[in-house]
This record gives sequence, structure tokens and C-alpha cells, in this order.
Amino acid sequence: MGQCRVFVTGIGLVSPHGCDDANQIFDKLYCGKSAIDLVCTETLGIKRSSLVAPANFDPVGKIPKTQLLLMDRVSQMALLAANQALENAQLLSNNTKLASTGIYLGCGLGGSQTIENVYHTLFVKKSCAVRPASVPLIMPNASAGHISMYHKLGGPSQTYSVACASSSIAIGEAFRAIRDGYLGRVIAGGTEAMLNFGSMASWDALTVLAKEHPEGAYASCRPFSKDRNGLVLGEGAAMLILESEALVTARNIQPLAEIIGYGASSDSHNLTQPAAEGQVRAMRLALVDAKLDPTAIGYINAHATGTQAGDKIEIEAIKLVFAEHAKRIAISSTKSMHGHLLGAAGALEFAITVMALQKGKIPPTAHLSQPDPDCALDCIPHVGRLSPTLKYALSNSFAFGGSNAVLIAQRV
Amino acid sequence: MTSFDYIRQVLIDKYEIEADVITSEATFENLGLDSLTMVELMFDVSEKYGIEIPTDRLDFKTLGEVVVLIDDMLNAQNI
Repeated sequence: MGQCRVFVTGIGLVSPHGCDDANQIFDKLYCGKSAIDLVCTETLGIKRSSLVAPANFDPVGKIPKTQLLLMDRVSQMALLAANQALENAQLLSNNTKLASTGIYLGCGLGGSQTIENVYHTLFVKKSCAVRPASVPLIMPNASAGHISMYHKLGGPSQTYSVACASSSIAIGEAFRAIRDGYLGRVIAGGTEAMLNFGSMASWDALTVLAKEHPEGAYASCRPFSKDRNGLVLGEGAAMLILESEALVTARNIQPLAEIIGYGASSDSHNLTQPAAEGQVRAMRLALVDAKLDPTAIGYINAHATGTQAGDKIEIEAIKLVFAEHAKRIAISSTKSMHGHLLGAAGALEFAITVMALQKGKIPPTAHLSQPDPDCALDCIPHVGRLSPTLKYALSNSFAFGGSNAVLIAQRV
Repeated sequence: MTSFDYIRQVLIDKYEIEADVITSEATFENLGLDSLTMVELMFDVSEKYGIEIPTDRLDFKTLGEVVVLIDDMLNAQNI
């Protein structure tokens, strides 16, 4: 079976920076604007202050009421992002048949608010009267199911649950399915909504969350900065429309970018500590897949979450893969502004990478005020950089469990 | 409010079913409700009236049969 080229033709985002127009969201990121905030909550008398990047959206009127009844927040965001992506790709207005379109989605936890509701009923209300729809609300593939039902998609519906690499893997596998001729069009991306009490407490216990920065909550996620002290959780959904060259040509549309490489690897090392060797393998596999010399890469959207160990290891891995060229690559971690969207992180960051190629504008690493000597590469501090000649960009996603996924895109 | 009135209102408000098709003789199938929606509706009824509907009694077809079941259970509670 011959291989065909694969293009990104649409992007839809429900993100901490908004949920209407991907271009406006990109503009905010390019300016270095953070969506991170300090949110105070009280549950069962327990008060918490959490640094988070929430996504504000209203599904009412956008999703049929009867479908909404059976949707956790995570699925609501996924469907709204898919709707936007299809609209952006001009696939809603032209009566296009989606009967053979697939949905490839990444999600770390599924309906986590519903999980919390179930345990609240059992352990707080001390009642066994658990809502009957709990299982279909919780299951991680519910979001893909809702998108396929709403848009009458007849192609395969796949959900990947690979922690923080979930949606990069979903996009990578969708890319391969189209490139190898199994599918012509896929809605690919990720969704995550776990900014609730139990999930936040669990993440807090892991001692990886950032502390509030004296400058303000918004400045608390500081990848590559010497004073970084942890990650900030975000929520949202990011969906991309991937189409074969044949469909792009037939529809006579201008794609946003071309996907040319995907690499995946395992660290086989530790459940939570990353290892440079595994990351190196994933980046090299993606470069080989893209048939690209490492010196062609002009921008890396780093996984860098803002932890002391993780950022340093990623820079070490980049230096191993790109050698001397590493110094010439523009690198940024946009998590400094939108936080870590976990299962949706890879898709949001790849969408940002695609827009960076399309616009010739590289988003920055916000709050990079004290560059760490251990991360001493060109990490684009504070504000974005014009890069009209940017042609190839790479997006890294590295997950707990030691799962690594790397995507490479090309300007069209 | 009778139990029928309550179910009727839930079907209108929550499931957006037209009022004029909600009759005692209407089946769940006629109303376009699937099995999951039916058990969700029974969950709402249980919560409202503080009754626990045994799973072996969920074999009803019409709204009228549901109302009879609920009223029987409520009467049994009051004895």
C-alpha cells in the first residue's frame, strides 16, 4: 500500500485562553499572556487554594439538551472543540458526508467529575443510589462516542489513555492510519477535565505542583527558569482535522500544515521520573519517519512542565538528538501560559505548533526570567518571535509511565 | 402533584418531549427513550419519592404501568 501525504485542515480549541477562535488564542500565547489563576474552593469544610488554568465555556445551546444530560465536562469540551475544528476545516457548511471519518482521541482519566460524584454519593451521603448513567459518563471513550454520534461519523473510534502523551499518540496514530491508506479523514485530538477536588488533592500529594509566585499566580509556571518549582494543571480540549492529500485536493482547500513524522518510545525506567534515552529515541524515530535531517528543525514546542528534573532532562535529550544544531533551534514551553492539560496537552501544543508554522510566529516561554544554566538553549523568554522562514517544527509529549510521543509538522 | 404529573414534567423539562404525546398509554419506545434514559428517569423518581424500585420490576412498557408501580410502592410505605 502506498503512502499518502497528511494535512491538518482545521483546529478547534476549548482552552484556558478561550474557546471561540484558535487564532485569537494563539495571539494571546504569542504575547506571553498567562491564563493561570489561583482558585479557592471549599468542599466538605476543607478549603483549598489551587493554581489552575481552567477553561471557561458554556455548552448550553451548543449541544442538544438530551445529549448534554449524558456528558461529563470532559466530553462537553471534546464535542465543542470537534465542532469548531470541523467548522474551521469547512466541513460543516458544505454538506460534507462524514460517514467514513474516524475519531482518534486522547484522554487521561475520562469523566473525573462523575467519578467524584459517585464517591460523594457512596461515602459522604452514605447512599448506594448511584446515578445509573455513571459508567457511560466516566468511560474514557465517552468523548469519542459523543463526537461520532453527533456528527454521524462512521469510521473507527479510538481512544488512547497514555497520561500526558495521550493526544499526541492519538494524532500520531491517526496520521499513520491516513498515510497508510486506511482512512481519508480523522478528527484527532484530546480532552481532559480533572480540576476537581479529588484529582487536585491527588496531584498535590504527588508534590509536583507549582507554588504561587510572588509576582502573582499567573507567573507560577516557569519552565526552564532557575526558580521553577512545579507544574500547573489546566483543562480543555484540542481537536485537529487530518485529511489525506486526495481529500484536500478534491475539496480545493488550503491546509494549515502537513504532518510528516511521528515517533513513540518507552523509557522502561520509572513510573514518574523521565529518562533522556527514551525521549531521544522518540525524537529520532520521528525524524527518521519524517525523512528529515535534524538540522532542518527550526522550532520545538517542548513538553517542559516546569519541574526541576523534567525540564533539565528534556534539554539534555534535545542536545543529544540535535548536537550543535540544538543551539540554533527555537524552543518554548507554552505550558507556562496554558498549564498542563494532561491528556489534552499534546493536542493543544501540536495545534499551537501548527499555527506557529502557518503564521511564521513562535510563541514564547513565559516568565523565563532566570534562565537555568542546565537548560541553556534558546528558550524564547517572555514574548514570541517572528520567524517567517520557519519550515519544520517538532512537538514533544512525555508521559508518566515512561511513554513518549513526538510529532513533526511542515509548513505548507 | 400526582406521580404521573411529576414524570410528565421531567419528560418535558429534562428530555424535551412534547407534552401532547405524554399519555398513560405511551410506551418508552414511542417517546423515543432508550433503556439508559429509562433507568435514569426511574432514578429521578426514586430520589423524588424516597423509594427504591427493585430491578426485577423495571419490565414495564407504558408510563401508566410506571405510575401504578410507584403508587403501589408509595401506598405500601404508608400502610
